[in-house]
Amino acid sequence: MSHNFRGCCGSPDHGLNRRGFLGATAAAGMGALAADMTVLSVLKDPLLAEEIKRQEKRVLLLWLAGGASQLETWDPKPGRPTGGPFRAIDTNVPGIRISELMPKLAQRQQHTAIIRSLNTKNADHGGGTELMETGRPKEAGLAYPDLGAILARELGRADSPVPDYVSMYTSTEGRHKGGPGFLGARYAPMFLDKGLAPENIQRLDSISDLDHQERLDLRGLLSTRFARARENSGIGSHNSAYSRVRGLMASEKLFDLSQESEAMRVKYGPTQFGQQALVARRLIEAGVPFVKVARAWWDSHGQNFETHLELVTELDHVMSTLLDDLGDRGLLEKTLVITLGEFGRTPQINPSLGRDHFASAWSASLSGCGIRGGTVYGKTDDDGIKVVEGEIGAEALFATIFNALGIDHQKNYYLGARPIPLTNPGTKPIPEVLA
Amino acid sequence: MTSDPTQLKAVKTIDRTGIHFGLARVPGTGRVFVGSSDAKVYSVDMAAEKPEWKELGGGSGISHAGYVSGVALAGPFVVSGAYDGNLIWWNSETLEPVRKVAAHAKWLRGVTASRDGRFIASVSDDMLCKIWNAQTGEVVHVLGGHQPLTPNHYPSMLYACAFSPDGRFLATADKVGHVVVWDTIAGTQLAAVETPLMYTWDPKQRQHSIGGVRSVAFSHDSKLLAIGGTGQINNIDHLEALARLEVFDWQQNKRVIEHAGDKHKGLVEHIEFSPAGDWLVSAGGDHEGFIKFLSLADGKVLHQDKAPMHVHDFELNETCDGLYAAGHGKLVQFEFKTPAPPVPEQPALPTES
Repeated sequence: MSHNFRGCCGSPDHGLNRRGFLGATAAAGMGALAADMTVLSVLKDPLLAEEIKRQEKRVLLLWLAGGASQLETWDPKPGRPTGGPFRAIDTNVPGIRISELMPKLAQRQQHTAIIRSLNTKNADHGGGTELMETGRPKEAGLAYPDLGAILARELGRADSPVPDYVSMYTSTEGRHKGGPGFLGARYAPMFLDKGLAPENIQRLDSISDLDHQERLDLRGLLSTRFARARENSGIGSHNSAYSRVRGLMASEKLFDLSQESEAMRVKYGPTQFGQQALVARRLIEAGVPFVKVARAWWDSHGQNFETHLELVTELDHVMSTLLDDLGDRGLLEKTLVITLGEFGRTPQINPSLGRDHFASAWSASLSGCGIRGGTVYGKTDDDGIKVVEGEIGAEALFATIFNALGIDHQKNYYLGARPIPLTNPGTKPIPEVLA
Repeated sequence: MTSDPTQLKAVKTIDRTGIHFGLARVPGTGRVFVGSSDAKVYSVDMAAEKPEWKELGGGSGISHAGYVSGVALAGPFVVSGAYDGNLIWWNSETLEPVRKVAAHAKWLRGVTASRDGRFIASVSDDMLCKIWNAQTGEVVHVLGGHQPLTPNHYPSMLYACAFSPDGRFLATADKVGHVVVWDTIAGTQLAAVETPLMYTWDPKQRQHSIGGVRSVAFSHDSKLLAIGGTGQINNIDHLEALARLEVFDWQQNKRVIEHAGDKHKGLVEHIEFSPAGDWLVSAGGDHEGFIKFLSLADGKVLHQDKAPMHVHDFELNETCDGLYAAGHGKLVQFEFKTPAPPVPEQPALPTES
């Protein structure tokens, strides 16, 4: 099996370090990993696994829940009956035009690849969400991990003091936690559904730090004894999650925006989405490999243009600020920023001036790490009704994401003896958008 | 009174693909000017057996570059406004362009003319209302008074404007339900009324907003101001609330009628008062359209019915027994005439035996 990991620049700084690898894995306890339900095939080549993680690649997913309109964002059709009222504007990349609702992103187009040719066929919120979270159709009897869980597994470090997967979804409509599926609870998201910070991660005042540590040690001792006599993958997952408690408690300040300057908070704007994006940047900076910020709810069956005037204007500001901020900190080349939802919206405009669910020809964007910015992949017809060039589904998009991060999309997980590839055989990434 | 709202019926329907947002009628005729989503303004004679859609300025090189949101007749001119922020004056007879003015920095949402044809008013998402000399195209007043952002930090919208019949007053209305009455000549604010229930902000489920005031109209004595929109919406994915009307004695800042709706959902897109002052008529819709007559005496519904489409604009005829409406994919002529009195039954003639 060949491994062609993108992003390995060849610098000695990125060279394999066997001593470092052994030290890290010993410290984290390989037992916890091995006791997991699956065994990464990549662990057969642990130095490469470590290499991926050492590159400290991260992903920030801006999940546009409810289905944003491609016509009011990345694939405008001005002047067409389906085009709606917004104009297309030039970007700073000649030949690429996007909706006038995104003037700030238009000036940062060099970071972003637009994919205009998604045909994912599932225009139901539940089914579409599951498909675009896991990258593959649902299969009976098999709980696939979502993108966050996979990347927590692939990019997270066992010895990391910060969470591997943080998911923010504070609106209640369409809220979907996602999850680790067969990867087990170790890769479940820290799910923030009430505010900017997780609840109940502070140590109780009535318990001293020493007392807390000793309680953990005792729990660990008893649990290890319990697990030794049993072959149960759930126990390993459970223990692994507990082993991270101290780290999660220590991460409390990452969610505290008072740690940021007033000027920085103002930059991100006063909306909750803006503030969540700033928390996401803090998490990314601290090494959290996967952060999802869900901005709900885009399901504009009525008054689509008013809704998009609000939400795209906000997205334009927040995402532009994020790209600038990540760039200023030298993080953008290591951070893949994705905009994605469960589907797009119909080209046809209904009598309520709304657009309905549409999965036949819609768009996503990839910016930053591993991406050839300033590119457009795929094409829809003049009215945006069907894909006429470069049609892809969810799996090809996921394969592209994995490749951008230096992950082999054909890698297998094993559920017992059954190999489960990251993407199904035959799936190809989109080389045109990869750096 | 020749009209009877209960007799409302569509007498002519003209289908045409597109969304027809604005309508203005040449008095005494069936000829209307229509502003549409294809960025064009059309002249259509609805009285013709086979109405044609004649594009204004076709071939002139002058046109809009966005949805035409409103049209108004002022003397010899038709003035159209569009989401491109421009106003275009057209000769209503030759259909040729007269002037094009870059009027606003953002979407132009509405255009109206004073009844005497002296002034044009335009409103835009730049949150300004501009009063124009209808004959020269010069700006007379620039009126602020509406906040650019909603209380939740998102862009607001200035949707509607209307002159009083005597032209002395002008009302403007925005997304959050703030309505201002202006002195047309002085360009000063005279009063403001609030209709906050027409704006829905969902802080929890969907975290965005919907609604806003979409129509305003003065009564013929200028004392009453009717305001139309929609009610509070639970699921803001849809226009699922009942269409809402409020009528104010604006000088007293007193709401005299609150009609929260009883049947039809969606937005009230246009309102007109009967000249006699006994009722007002409103129209709008969601996926479907409606027309509703409300008694001014008691605020009760005189009559309401489905329209064949979501109605975006309409105009009453001079005899006040019919109206011409533009909307989603259609133009429709309605009538609501008092039925002719029944012919008295003739006594049977005696038959010869």
